[in-house]
Amino acid sequence: MQEFDFQSPQTLDEVFQCLAAPGAHLIAGGTDVIPRMRAGIFPAAQLIDLNRVEALRYIREEDGGIRLGALTTYAEILRSPLLAQFASALGAATRRVASPMARQRGTLGGNLANASPAADSVPPLLVLDSWVRLAGPHGMRELPLTEFFRGPGKTVLAPDEIIESIFFHKHAPSWGFGYEKLGPRQGMTISILSAAAALELGTDGRIKAVRIALGAAAPTPVRCPRAEQALLGHLPAAPAWQSAAENLSVDISPIDDVRASGEYRRKAAGVLVTRALQSAAESAQRSAAQ
Amino acid sequence: MKPIQVNLTINDREYHLNSLPNRTLLSVLREDLGLTGTKEGCGAGECGACVVLMDGEPVNSCLVLIGQADGHRVQTIEGLSKNGQPHPLQKAFVEDGAVQCGFCTPGMIMASKALLDKNDHPSEEEIREALAGNICRCTGYTKIVQAVQDAAEELRHE
Repeated sequence: MQEFDFQSPQTLDEVFQCLAAPGAHLIAGGTDVIPRMRAGIFPAAQLIDLNRVEALRYIREEDGGIRLGALTTYAEILRSPLLAQFASALGAATRRVASPMARQRGTLGGNLANASPAADSVPPLLVLDSWVRLAGPHGMRELPLTEFFRGPGKTVLAPDEIIESIFFHKHAPSWGFGYEKLGPRQGMTISILSAAAALELGTDGRIKAVRIALGAAAPTPVRCPRAEQALLGHLPAAPAWQSAAENLSVDISPIDDVRASGEYRRKAAGVLVTRALQSAAESAQRSAAQ
Repeated sequence: MKPIQVNLTINDREYHLNSLPNRTLLSVLREDLGLTGTKEGCGAGECGACVVLMDGEPVNSCLVLIGQADGHRVQTIEGLSKNGQPHPLQKAFVEDGAVQCGFCTPGMIMASKALLDKNDHPSEEEIREALAGNICRCTGYTKIVQAVQDAAEELRHE
């Protein structure tokens, strides 16, 4: 493996000091960084391990919402009763992430910083309307997750900044969530496509609010505003799903790659979004009936 | 490249190591400590041949830098037997013929142990989910699942 000096700071201030050194890069769970270092495509002269920064490892309730520290692992997401109750789509996506071993090490902050168009945690976080908080030597800033990604492997993070946490509001029981992932097998699969949906039904049973997000369908995971617009005020049923699916083509720009063709992804996106919306609608109807 | 000091417990024995930082836990286990039961397959977290337990949880030791193992408790396949007697999982893998070439076996057994430590009566689906990151290229999954079920039964009667 390439050569580097290894630092393991314990506080955010120490992290910022380490990060000021030339050639400094961060590592958390290592599930992306280590394979890239072994392939010689991660040129770090200084490697800063975040695992001892306890201030980044938490799941807590805050201002009517939930805040997850950047070091939260997939395994911790699956163990949290709070997230099981308020972020079921995130749980569903997490269960499909790689293997138990990767879920043990891989972190939410790492998944965001890696900025893969196929990042599994992102579509559920997008339909939860999440915000990401960045921390740097001069303070914190917070922005909607939709504004965080700039392209494959690219984010708005400045060289001296780190991801501190993710925040989303708790949604009322009138909301339902759905998640779908498409790949050659259930486990150990990079998504060909993934879809998350959140919708709220009004007392008249019609769609009052809706969010749709797709992974591996554009240079970054994306929300689908055109498809969302097409659903408002409609009954949660097949005709509405079909018009959402037809409007998706404006929201996405899938490419041909080793996993699938762009054309296949365009067709599959409508199917996957329909399934995610259907299960979101069913879960909203179930909680309304309770 | 500055060497780092690493203190960790492996199979209940304490080690104080001086290592270069660009080593993985896997390479230190195999090359420095002679614990060659843990295998290197893909080196990228895809195959599960290198699974060990860290603080009781399964990890791919090829994706843990030695500096990240500092202060942690590691268990490898060599640490499973007690008083010279193989662990029920090891016995079941042999008796059920869940071993063909054997290269994936240590990782399979450690991932299975992580499951059985938390769930003493797993369903077939739970076993397959727990072993989703462990690849056997001799195609022995049916017998591997059977062996985990048999070991679970024996452990329940212990």
